[in-house]
Amino acid sequence: MAEPRAGFWQRLQQIPRYYVYLLMAAVVIWQILFPIPLPIAPSSATQGVYDAISAVPDDKLILISTDWDASTNAETGPQTEAIVHACLQNDKRFAIMNLHPPMGVKLANDIAEQVAEQYGAEYGVDWCNWGYKYGFANVLIAMAKNIPKTIGDDFYGTPVAELSMMQGVEDIESIGLVIEITGLATITETWIGLIQGVYGTPFASAYTAVMAPGYYPFLDSGQMQGMLVGAKGAAEMEALVTRPAKASVIMNVQSWAHVLIILLIVIGNLGFVLARGPRGQGAP
Amino acid sequence: MWDSIQSVFQPTTSPPQLYRNLAVALIGSFVLLALLHRFLGPRGRRWLIAFVTFVGGLYLGLEYFLPVRTAVLWPTAIPNPNPDRGANLLTPGIEPVGIMMSVIGAFTVGLGIYSLCQVHGRSLGQRRPGWHNSLAFFLAMVAMLVFGFWAHYLPKVDEASAVMPVPRAIYEMLFSGLFMPLQAATFSLLAFYIASAAYRAFRIRTAEAGLMMAAAFIVMIGQVPVGAWVTSGLPTTGALAFFRLEALGEWIMTWLNAPAQRGIVFGVAIGGLAMSLRIWLSLERGTFFSEQG
Amino acid sequence: MGGLEHANWFMSALFGSMCLIIVISVLVAQRGREMFIRRIPGLTAIKEAVGRATEMGRPIFFSPGLRGIEIATLQALAILSYVVRLAAERATRIIVGICEPELYPVAEESVREAYEAAGRPEAFRSDDVRFISNEQFAYALGSVGLMAREQVATNFFFGMFFAESLILAENGQALGALQVAGCPDPVQIPFFIATCDYVVIGDEYYAASAYLTREPTLTGSLVGQDIAKALLVALLILGVGLATYFGAVGNEEYNFLRQLLATGATGS
Repeated sequence: MAEPRAGFWQRLQQIPRYYVYLLMAAVVIWQILFPIPLPIAPSSATQGVYDAISAVPDDKLILISTDWDASTNAETGPQTEAIVHACLQNDKRFAIMNLHPPMGVKLANDIAEQVAEQYGAEYGVDWCNWGYKYGFANVLIAMAKNIPKTIGDDFYGTPVAELSMMQGVEDIESIGLVIEITGLATITETWIGLIQGVYGTPFASAYTAVMAPGYYPFLDSGQMQGMLVGAKGAAEMEALVTRPAKASVIMNVQSWAHVLIILLIVIGNLGFVLARGPRGQGAP
Repeated sequence: MWDSIQSVFQPTTSPPQLYRNLAVALIGSFVLLALLHRFLGPRGRRWLIAFVTFVGGLYLGLEYFLPVRTAVLWPTAIPNPNPDRGANLLTPGIEPVGIMMSVIGAFTVGLGIYSLCQVHGRSLGQRRPGWHNSLAFFLAMVAMLVFGFWAHYLPKVDEASAVMPVPRAIYEMLFSGLFMPLQAATFSLLAFYIASAAYRAFRIRTAEAGLMMAAAFIVMIGQVPVGAWVTSGLPTTGALAFFRLEALGEWIMTWLNAPAQRGIVFGVAIGGLAMSLRIWLSLERGTFFSEQG
Repeated sequence: MGGLEHANWFMSALFGSMCLIIVISVLVAQRGREMFIRRIPGLTAIKEAVGRATEMGRPIFFSPGLRGIEIATLQALAILSYVVRLAAERATRIIVGICEPELYPVAEESVREAYEAAGRPEAFRSDDVRFISNEQFAYALGSVGLMAREQVATNFFFGMFFAESLILAENGQALGALQVAGCPDPVQIPFFIATCDYVVIGDEYYAASAYLTREPTLTGSLVGQDIAKALLVALLILGVGLATYFGAVGNEEYNFLRQLLATGATGS
């Protein structure tokens, strides 16, 4: 009797990986097709981003650095959309820019265009796109001292100095908040080291869930006003701006995917504990 | 004199001057490299590398640590590029040094492409197993290069009114229709991998592992709406609010995870400092282990 | 309040004293004083991992991470040189996958020198140091394809890794390769722990060259960095104490340490 039982418990520890993949795919598809709506409560980190946006003085711009590409679009796309909603709902003017990867500037521009249309916001008056700027730290150092000269032309090839919303925008003092949206590590350190740390410009951020844990120290130290954590942060921001969209659907999917992972871990451990048998022999 | 030194590093827009500079730079570099290759033995090369490393490190270090705008270190003949903020004698060189590093980096892209072509060319030429992968590589690279440049150098048209030209449409298809979805699909593989890795690796072998698992469950559930739903019966204010899963998850991330991360980052930063010092002073052996530097 | 664009005198003094501590430790170690390094399983396992590939007669794959020439990558190259030398001595093939093109010539030269140092320069094949792609996920998939085609027995992942860490290591695990990883970025460590056999964590990563060679210079630097870390911890405790005290009495502007760190002067 003992032998087949041990075999079963051991098999529970060794479910082939393709079954695990299949289960995950099934859960994802199930939640996309038949979502079970769940309540979304904004965390203090997300609330921090929203509060930072609403606290920007009217004479200053919000600078959104959209440093992401298609690979992280599922998280950073909805984050960008929700942040643009928050800016426009609070009547704040914003500029998009991109340091890397260059693809981000087009993807973010499409999102901003769509959202701006919903509010009747006008390009060049309420928002603009500074485009992709090559040079990372060099761009930030130079931009802090002279924005029109450093940025030059916008996404459409118009000199930014000619845009009406850019009248009076000289240097970093004209920026009331920097929001970094990225799936790339170390860009934040550059922003904090060269802009937030040096000039005291308020800074907030949005990251993919996988990289966010590394940035809690900056949030905790007050160097960041707030932080959107992956699709969860985007969904919370969507809740704050009362525009539930893509991220809210993603959160349903993610919720049940997390439940599946937990179940799998529990099953694996159940097998591990029970396969030891009465004498506590370890499984191989 | 300072102005003439500065002007060397300024970008030029006049074509004759640009071509002259290019020719001088290319021929100069070639002659210098040929001479070094001819007359420097392995020991000499090692000394040269050590010297260049030391001077490079010294420059960036001194630029950061030298006091700013002191009378001794800031002769009035040299214009201060940044009068309202700190600058010292070496600050004006930072930008040219940055450009120099970018240029060197850009040249190495060519080396990378050469390496790729070499490996895949041999594989294709000798019909090694998997040669069709190499063929796919060449086809993809040539397609992206040809249509990328073609689309880039097409005369500009008013996008709203005109039909997209064929090369640009093909480039868009390759980039937005193929490359971007491939990237997104690869990133999404993580969902599957994390499920199988967590299932396989997470075993409660010790009490510590049990604690870690409890923390992981709280964070995983607390980070998603299902967590808020599970403990939605608890009040949102007062002492009991702390036990809502989303609050517990956030508490773990900010009060337990963040200090641990910070501790590791401090250690890593000092490790990096020691490593930098060793490299700067060429104390790390050989190109690393072959010979004491 | 402004921050730091150039170091203030306090930062210079702090940084200088840390460097001095490290240099003095190196000098002390060079005079022959024995210095103890605790066992680091991840680094001890390197020999075992190379040995496994030798026994199986299959190649080793080494990834020095996604970044170009920076300190973390240079440490990865130091480990690579050691691994190549071990592999060359045992006539085991090693394939290096490069992501940043600027790293390619440096890595190739390191590998060539390591083969020479092992006394087997003829075993070096330039094809085995390969640039794969400088796109993160293209690199990951290219590396995974390489591992599968070459049926590698051992994978080494040392350097800066990001989201692709799990793709690399999980596929390596599926192929049955023995895997050793090390990354100074704490965010990727959990993924490596879940998928690799041995993982080098945090500043153990920078202890690698000292640990592997027991060279007095490197060992001394390791001890020096630990003393410097103790100095930083002392400063941290003092800072927390002062911030707590001045916060409690409501006189935060008198927190001289905070002012020193921010401006290099007190009472400004």
